[in-house]
Amino acid sequence: MLFNSLEFFIFLPVVFALYWLIGNRRIKQQNLLIALASYVFYGWWDWRFLFLILFSSLVDYTVGLKLNHEERPARRKLLLWISICVNLGFLGFFKYYNFFIESLVDSFTFFGARLSLNTLDIILPVGISFYTFQTLSYTIDVYNKKLRPTSDFLAFMAFVSFFPQLVAGPIERATNLLPQFYKKREFVYANAVDGMRQVLWGMFKKVVIADNCATYANMIFNNSEDYSGSTLLIGSFFFAFQIYGDFSGYSDIAIGISRLFGFNLKRNFAFPYFSRDIAEFWRRWHISLSTWFRDYLYIPLGGSRGGTKMKVRNTFIIFIVSGFWHGANWTFIVWGALNAIYFLPLLLLNKNRVNTNLVAEGKYLPTIREVFQMATTFFITLIAWIFFRADNVSQAFIYVKDMFTTSLFTTPEIFPLTILGLVALFIFIEWLGRSGEYAIEKVDFMRRPVRWSFYMFLIILSFLFTGEQQEFIYFQF
Amino acid sequence: MKKFIKNCVLFFLLLLIAGEFVVRFTHAVSDIPRRTIDNTGIQKYFINQTGYWKGGDHKWKINELGWPGNLPSSFDKLITIIGDSYIENFMNPNECHQGPLLKKKMSDFNFMEAGRSGVSFIEAMEISKHLDTLQPLQTLIYVNDNDFYESITEIKKMRDITQLNLEKDQIIYGKMKSPGLKKVLYNWKLIYYFYNRYPINFTNHNKENEIKKPELNKVLKFKNEILELFKFIKINYKTSNKTLIFHPKTNDYFIKLAEEHGFKTIVLDSSKDSKSWTFDYDSHWTCYGHNQVANQVKLGLNEHLKGKSQ
Repeated sequence: MLFNSLEFFIFLPVVFALYWLIGNRRIKQQNLLIALASYVFYGWWDWRFLFLILFSSLVDYTVGLKLNHEERPARRKLLLWISICVNLGFLGFFKYYNFFIESLVDSFTFFGARLSLNTLDIILPVGISFYTFQTLSYTIDVYNKKLRPTSDFLAFMAFVSFFPQLVAGPIERATNLLPQFYKKREFVYANAVDGMRQVLWGMFKKVVIADNCATYANMIFNNSEDYSGSTLLIGSFFFAFQIYGDFSGYSDIAIGISRLFGFNLKRNFAFPYFSRDIAEFWRRWHISLSTWFRDYLYIPLGGSRGGTKMKVRNTFIIFIVSGFWHGANWTFIVWGALNAIYFLPLLLLNKNRVNTNLVAEGKYLPTIREVFQMATTFFITLIAWIFFRADNVSQAFIYVKDMFTTSLFTTPEIFPLTILGLVALFIFIEWLGRSGEYAIEKVDFMRRPVRWSFYMFLIILSFLFTGEQQEFIYFQF
Repeated sequence: MKKFIKNCVLFFLLLLIAGEFVVRFTHAVSDIPRRTIDNTGIQKYFINQTGYWKGGDHKWKINELGWPGNLPSSFDKLITIIGDSYIENFMNPNECHQGPLLKKKMSDFNFMEAGRSGVSFIEAMEISKHLDTLQPLQTLIYVNDNDFYESITEIKKMRDITQLNLEKDQIIYGKMKSPGLKKVLYNWKLIYYFYNRYPINFTNHNKENEIKKPELNKVLKFKNEILELFKFIKINYKTSNKTLIFHPKTNDYFIKLAEEHGFKTIVLDSSKDSKSWTFDYDSHWTCYGHNQVANQVKLGLNEHLKGKSQ
């Protein structure tokens, strides 16, 4: 079920009403409703894959309980590996099987040998990368004794399949989300209003910004050989805002909906396009995934504690794996590697933590230096997005090559003023609201008629400028 | 919780009002004229209605006879034009209608349009029967493959379209489909906007948007029914002063049958034109497309009229 669909528009109020009708004294029943609703939400897409979530939940729940009673290190390690193998096994099969087969056949062909292996017609289960990482975090935390395993299977099922964030994150840690399923959830008016507001902002990002940008990004990327450098630059600009509006919009909707049910999810985006260097960008983009890799991969590998070689190795590993997590295509790997290359100089020069505060904090306008830093960071991110979006690596290289020609300084063939105006409005609102958790969080200073008019303005803009309905990009990851 | 629900409901109601205002003000949806069925069973529009097409760029008008467009200044040397939404043509301004375009190209004649979306071939013939009281020199009927299939109840029964029941050898006049609901929908612009923007699959289907390549199998399958239709028409209507204008890519079988049953024909051809005749988002003709159509109709019509004068 898509958040921006009629079905969800009916589904959400029904589940919301039932949830609070049950009342917060009956936590188990509320958890059961969440689990059932989540399974309906997911099964709406393809019910067959519900068994996958159920199986994954069962394995991790059992492993968690067994780890609690097991003190022998070898046995504990074995249990951990069972969970890792099952979860990553599913992920590997559904997401990467064909990629590995094709790459293997290609490498044999490259060396003049022939290998006859067939790929399979596999459907990628929506959100598998997200819930797999979420359940893995549970087992690893239990293994590391950072979390007591749960004996409440219903709560665990609801935690794994929690519908607001099931298919595209934020990837929640068991330490944050799971305990919320044991506690009484209170309906707090201010939180519910805040949740609705965040849903509204997320919807605006998705249907107005992302979907409209997608139309032009697709048009330009699909025929990139026909366009001038300036148009290609605009194409990458549109894709940058498509992916940001799409993914952060989804996160905002997920966080907002969770608040309606009395849950608090972690922040996933913190105005990444206002970053002054790439290290800051990665602290602000897809935070739940970056911190997941940091805690469960980068730090166990030694992090940045070792010598230069180790720092370089670990940086490349984390960025490449992060790229690979996004999809089974060399484009994502190159995208990850490119970001590692951007990041390394800052790390090696110990400048990766220079910009930890908010840009132009307490001011309306940034300094010229900050503008330059933000523009540079945005531009190099734009180049990396070309690799992320392209169908294959060679198309990406040709795209970049064609972009940096003299035609970069000609009038673009495609220049949709209305959409660019909407993106400019969006950047303006984000800039004004950058000190909040999301752009329109702090509108309470306005009087109610003004505030409501502002909400209506956003909703009406969404009605009038709704782009072609598209699936959320991150569903495919 | 009560406060939350109360505020949600209040906000929703205010939003409905604000949304309605914005949709009307920006003409985010087209105004749709109200229909009626006259005493001869023909569905047309209430007279003297006007409204804006989507975006507010141009207005449409229903004339005193209940058809879109202006009436000619005189009914002398009259040529009538009958068709479906391509002739109704609300999406283009009046100067891009077939009547005014042909008048510009053939100023000696007067043209009058009778177009309504959903008109089948048999309904077009019924309309022509009534317009014959104006004693036109010629009647141009714009048709495509679907108009023939949709004329026959045995192929597909359609309540809102006038059809021929071959078994009873009888015309079944179309009835208004949910007129009350439509009245609400067309007047409550915000809801109509959503209805258009997020179509519900089983209802929002415009038959004119479905002109595809000729379906050979369908023609073969309903060959006999189509033949019966033409036989019925030959017996019950005057065909000698009727010219059928076939849309591009119409199946040759229909053209052949029409000629065999006394119709004159003009077959439109867009294949040699490098510029598209239709809108990007639907299959209706743009102003350019209408002009190209009028050029080809003029050529064909001149031939027919020349033949008549000889």
